[in-house]
Amino acid sequence: MKKILFLLLIAFAANAADSVKVLQVNDRRTRGSFSQLQIALELPSITSTSVAASRVLVSSAKDDAGNDLVDHEAQEPSLEENFRKQGNASVSLTLKNPPRSSTKVVEAKGEIELFMPAKDPNSTAELAKFLPGNGKPVSHKALKSNGVEIAFLTAAQLDADNAKREEWDRVKLDENELAVRVNDPQKRIQSLTYIDSKGEPQRVMMRDEKTLAILSTWAGKPAPDWKLRVNLRTAKNTVRMPFAVKDVALP
Amino acid sequence: MFRAILAKKGWRLAVGSWRFLGGYGNEEPANRQPATANRKGSMLRALAILLMLSLPVFGQTNVHVELDDVTDNRMNTDMFTGSLELRVKVDGTNMDKATAARVLIKEARDDKGNDLAKDYKPADFFAREYNNGALTFSLTSPARNASKVKLKGSIELYVPSRDPGAMVKIEKALSKPDAPLSSKTLKAAKVDITLLSRDAYVKKLESRKIDDSKAAAIREEGKKHGADPKEVEMMIELAKALQDNPNEIPANAILLAGSSDSFARVYRIDVLGSDGKPIDTPQRSTSTQGGDSIMTIIPAADPPPNASMQLYLLTPKSKMSTPFELTVELP
Repeated sequence: MKKILFLLLIAFAANAADSVKVLQVNDRRTRGSFSQLQIALELPSITSTSVAASRVLVSSAKDDAGNDLVDHEAQEPSLEENFRKQGNASVSLTLKNPPRSSTKVVEAKGEIELFMPAKDPNSTAELAKFLPGNGKPVSHKALKSNGVEIAFLTAAQLDADNAKREEWDRVKLDENELAVRVNDPQKRIQSLTYIDSKGEPQRVMMRDEKTLAILSTWAGKPAPDWKLRVNLRTAKNTVRMPFAVKDVALP
Repeated sequence: MFRAILAKKGWRLAVGSWRFLGGYGNEEPANRQPATANRKGSMLRALAILLMLSLPVFGQTNVHVELDDVTDNRMNTDMFTGSLELRVKVDGTNMDKATAARVLIKEARDDKGNDLAKDYKPADFFAREYNNGALTFSLTSPARNASKVKLKGSIELYVPSRDPGAMVKIEKALSKPDAPLSSKTLKAAKVDITLLSRDAYVKKLESRKIDDSKAAAIREEGKKHGADPKEVEMMIELAKALQDNPNEIPANAILLAGSSDSFARVYRIDVLGSDGKPIDTPQRSTSTQGGDSIMTIIPAADPPPNASMQLYLLTPKSKMSTPFELTVELP
């Protein structure tokens, strides 16, 4: 049994190594910010349109002088949104700069995490009508099954909320902003998107302010006929795959 | 020797100023004359230096160049080549009189002997009021195993106050569209720029459109240079996408046309309101095709009909150059 498991593991590891291709290596060396080695990997078996976001978790990486290139003090990377709508999916891993005397990364390995919403039909909530808000959580089965509540506040509710605070502590909104109460104990919300009157997706930025979340967009003031799309991370749509790259020449 | 004396007196003399003043501090020893034979000359030179330092003339500015940041951006792809980006701080006495500055690189080599200036293109003059006067320039990436880069070049300052011919004011400049801006000084400086009417602008854009024959010529040129046909097509599509659209240009835009050589001789063009002060022009751009340029200046508010224009010309007298040398430790 142990032998079979071992063989399976070897087969899996080989598959992992073959499943990525090095696209680009960028060794950005500076005395200023963002001094890092980035390796872009192509995933030939996955289309870019199926990946909404990705991140790479590196477990080990060494150059030809034996230097450890993993930045153990860095925060765990967060999922980065994928804006590429054609070709194969690609991801990028970030390492420490190797010394100038190094010539290659002997090996880098870890896991690639892909957020693929289509893999779980119950992970996208599209709300045809969410404005004007009434302070009650909007209703959708995907939100409910993931334990997520989103409630859009009315201007009167925001005023009432602000009345409890000192002047300096009050939440002030720009014309394009909306205040919401979000309850997401399992951290399932991956992204919010408005769908405008023409059916075009418009990016939504969310920031926490006091006990509220503020939604903003570059696309102008949200209109009553706009829709809201909420992408949720679930066990089904979050795919992790091991990767390993060897002998990556340094530029 | 004089440098040591000056240093004791608290004066700093950059390499460039030394050469400018006729010194030989950086010449090879073989080129120097024996000290005894040159004592009289040295004394005269010292006197000249002290006299010149005491004059409040900009020509004696003491330019000091200091490395501020260095980024070696190394890439392994064919499409994006890496580069060595450098930022230097430039200061010195009388620097406040300089409107703009730029770095000109004469020689740049890494310690493995690679020439990093082979593709160097001088940057345009950069206004001193931005980035605390820091200047950036770009060189070819050094060898991976290099540790140092040695640079020789000069800091070129634009000091329009040094030359009365560097500032040209055109009264009621917006009143005569489709005629060249008229001034003897502009003519002498070989600056031929025409204010375009809206109709002339639209016609000019029409003539610049990348049609099938122009696209074919670009493909042919690409073929001659062995460029990847896919990349050439990408470039053509990009150029088409970047073409100016007259409908996107507001009605109050000031449109100027001329040869790219003419525009290269101009540092800046200000539009002056009725009070003689520059009006706010938050958007400016210049597009060049072949040897032809169009400058678009979009003011924040409609300029008055009697608006004049102030052109700052890059005349030889208005520019002064100070050599420098720098050794950069690579990150």
